Amino acid sequence: MMTENDWSLKARDLTRVYHRGSEEIRALDGVSLSIRRGEFVSFMGSSGSGKTTLINLLGCLDNPTSGALELAGKSIFGAGKPLGERELTRVRREVFGYIFQNFYLIPTLTVQENVALPLAFYRKPGAEEEVERLLKLLGMEQRRDHLPGQISGGEMQRVAIARALVNRPEILLADEPTGNLDTRRATEIGEVLQELNRSSGLTIVMVTHNPGLARLAGRQIEMRDGLAYES
Amino acid sequence: MCAAAAQPVLAAVGCDLNDADRDVPRLFPDSTGYKTVYLSIANRGGAPLLRKIENRLGVTYLSLYAPIDVPYTLYEVYRDKRKIGYIHGVNQKGQFGGIQVFMAQDLTGRIKTFYLQKITGSSASKFREAGFTRKFEGVTLRDFDSYDPVRGKGSGRLAQIANPAPELETDFYGILRGLKKNLVLMEEFVFAPERGKP
Amino acid sequence: MITPFQIAYKNLLRKKVRSLLTLVGIMLSTWVLVSLFGFNRGYEAALNRDIDNMGYQLMVMAKGCPYEAATMMLQGGKGLRYMEPSMVNDILKEPGVAKVTPILMQAFFDPNKGESGGIAGFYGVDPASYPALKPFLRFRKGGWFHDSAAAEVVMGYEAAELEQREVGDLTMVPEKNVPLKVVGILERTGSQDDGTIFVPLKTLQRISQTDQITTIGIKVKKDADMEKLENRLYQLKDVQVVSFSQVKQTVMKLISTARVMVFSIAIVALLIAMVGVVNTVLMSVLERRQEIGILKTMGAMPGDIFRLVWTETLILCTLGGVAGIGFALLFARVTDMLARRVLPYAPSGGLVAIDLRISLLALSIIVAVGLLSGLYPAWKAGSIRPLESIRGE
Repeated sequence: MMTENDWSLKARDLTRVYHRGSEEIRALDGVSLSIRRGEFVSFMGSSGSGKTTLINLLGCLDNPTSGALELAGKSIFGAGKPLGERELTRVRREVFGYIFQNFYLIPTLTVQENVALPLAFYRKPGAEEEVERLLKLLGMEQRRDHLPGQISGGEMQRVAIARALVNRPEILLADEPTGNLDTRRATEIGEVLQELNRSSGLTIVMVTHNPGLARLAGRQIEMRDGLAYES
Repeated sequence: MCAAAAQPVLAAVGCDLNDADRDVPRLFPDSTGYKTVYLSIANRGGAPLLRKIENRLGVTYLSLYAPIDVPYTLYEVYRDKRKIGYIHGVNQKGQFGGIQVFMAQDLTGRIKTFYLQKITGSSASKFREAGFTRKFEGVTLRDFDSYDPVRGKGSGRLAQIANPAPELETDFYGILRGLKKNLVLMEEFVFAPERGKP
Repeated sequence: MITPFQIAYKNLLRKKVRSLLTLVGIMLSTWVLVSLFGFNRGYEAALNRDIDNMGYQLMVMAKGCPYEAATMMLQGGKGLRYMEPSMVNDILKEPGVAKVTPILMQAFFDPNKGESGGIAGFYGVDPASYPALKPFLRFRKGGWFHDSAAAEVVMGYEAAELEQREVGDLTMVPEKNVPLKVVGILERTGSQDDGTIFVPLKTLQRISQTDQITTIGIKVKKDADMEKLENRLYQLKDVQVVSFSQVKQTVMKLISTARVMVFSIAIVALLIAMVGVVNTVLMSVLERRQEIGILKTMGAMPGDIFRLVWTETLILCTLGGVAGIGFALLFARVTDMLARRVLPYAPSGGLVAIDLRISLLALSIIVAVGLLSGLYPAWKAGSIRPLESIRGE
């Protein structure tokens, strides 16, 4: 019997193979790991190491070639049949929030509207209040009526974070979140993520090539040639 | 669906010659050509002119079929390049139909030829005979100073013209009234303005 | 909270000029479509009105007889041919015939008309049956004949004007020298009736010393088979049948050719506008690949994205369509004028009749075609995989 605190992500032998012409590329070569609720995990590695591929699979953005993934004990991958877009979307919106290197805010919507955007498609109960709470939490209250073009890069990433959290996901997936920010702002975001993890127990899975940022995570995993090495 | 006559609508109240090319030389023997001009009371003097004409004729003559902007057709007659006279016609109400009273005038306003283009009635042809129409040659507007065609009383050469068709007495006086109307209109449209010029 | 609809229309605002140009394209083709429908409806209605105004739809007359007064006058009043009045009963028996009226045209010589005389035409009608076949007879002064053999005339507006007749005056039938009293003067109709002098049939027959007629006017029943009736009438001895429906059909044929042409142009214009729509929306979808990918990470299903993009198409088409309709209504008078200039024959009255039904029809066509052409871009957007789009930098 699973309790709330036992919530977890379990990956077993995840493999991802690409075919480019006649060439076969093993981007991920059988990775297994477990992540519990409240953990802050960072993945580091050079390009081609497979960190990107891994996070895509963990975040249900892609199907593995083989291997299994369980979320909260429920099998997502591994039943043999690859999942279609609709099923993947359903899992994603239940479990994950995403932020990326490019903030991807909609330029014609205000800060508030951008944060509330996911609710146009999927709304967990109580989500409306989350908009307000997150705006405050991430310090964007005063800027709620501004357009993305009127705020700084760091502020844009905060908005993206708020947007990612509005449906109270289990896991925040951050893919190079500071890639487009200068050092000072990158540090800010790093601190924001740390704070979120510490105070609300948000599980964070982060990919970065910034060692300073990686060290803010409680658990650091290095990727090399499609395999994971935990220090 | 019959038409009473194949005449153009405008001629209904102002008169056109049925066939000007043929009629002008007949009415004005020494002519070589003519020019057609359209006039109306509206553009020659408007309401004041209308009242002046009505006063001269003695009654509100210009009836429901002749509003102020009806065009009247004036034929200016030429010999080579020189203008030698005018031809003008008016519509007058007759007993059995409209009477079209035409006259050819010289440059002083004296009648050269009198022509009834149309008149209806069994013995109406008597009014078109030369014996009657020739009597109007030489008549001027002044002759109407001493003769009133409305009451049929007066003196002078007009009073001496006999009615060739006594059974059509209304039409006889109608013709005279039509003639006076024609002369007055010509006086107001053409001769008075010309005299006013230096 | 933000709704998918708001997302859609705000997306259109991102590229204002592009959206505006697409709108203008749709507006123009809607304008053409609506004006066309309006013209189609208005023209046919006006034509029907003109023909109905003529009263009877068929005329039967003796072979060789002119059926128009103008022709009769040109022929100097000769060339009139007659029919037996019994023909009226024969025709009345025909199925499909609703009403008939006998007519006699006559011409008399007036020596006092013009230099060497001219002819005067008279139109003898049966006071009992004629008005029923000419429901739009309107009197300016006076009224219809008092009995079927009265020594009276009713004059068309211009005929009265020419003769300076008022109600109560007399008029003379030349040649026979019969005086008749003017009892009515008609309103101006703009048709040949304006120059017509109407006389009671029996009176004219008496004056002409004949009992025959020249024409029979026929009004057919609403559901009658015109063609069949005409064929049967042709079987009658020594007659010719003139049908106004023929006139109407000829004109309609002329117009339908023009109509087919213009419809084709409208379809082409519509297609071009739609291509513009597809292009605009597709371009904006391709530009927003990454964004759409992000939306999918937020929980938007392929169906949600499809609906979002389809909504953008819907907004463009609806706005463009409504603007086009407004434009068409505003410039209906201008379109009317243009049509009159171009057409060989144009009936009186408004030619372009745009009503709610037509507007809604045009709008629904525009929207339907738009939605159809929007299917591809919307489907394309829906099938974008977040991975490829986000990663594809």
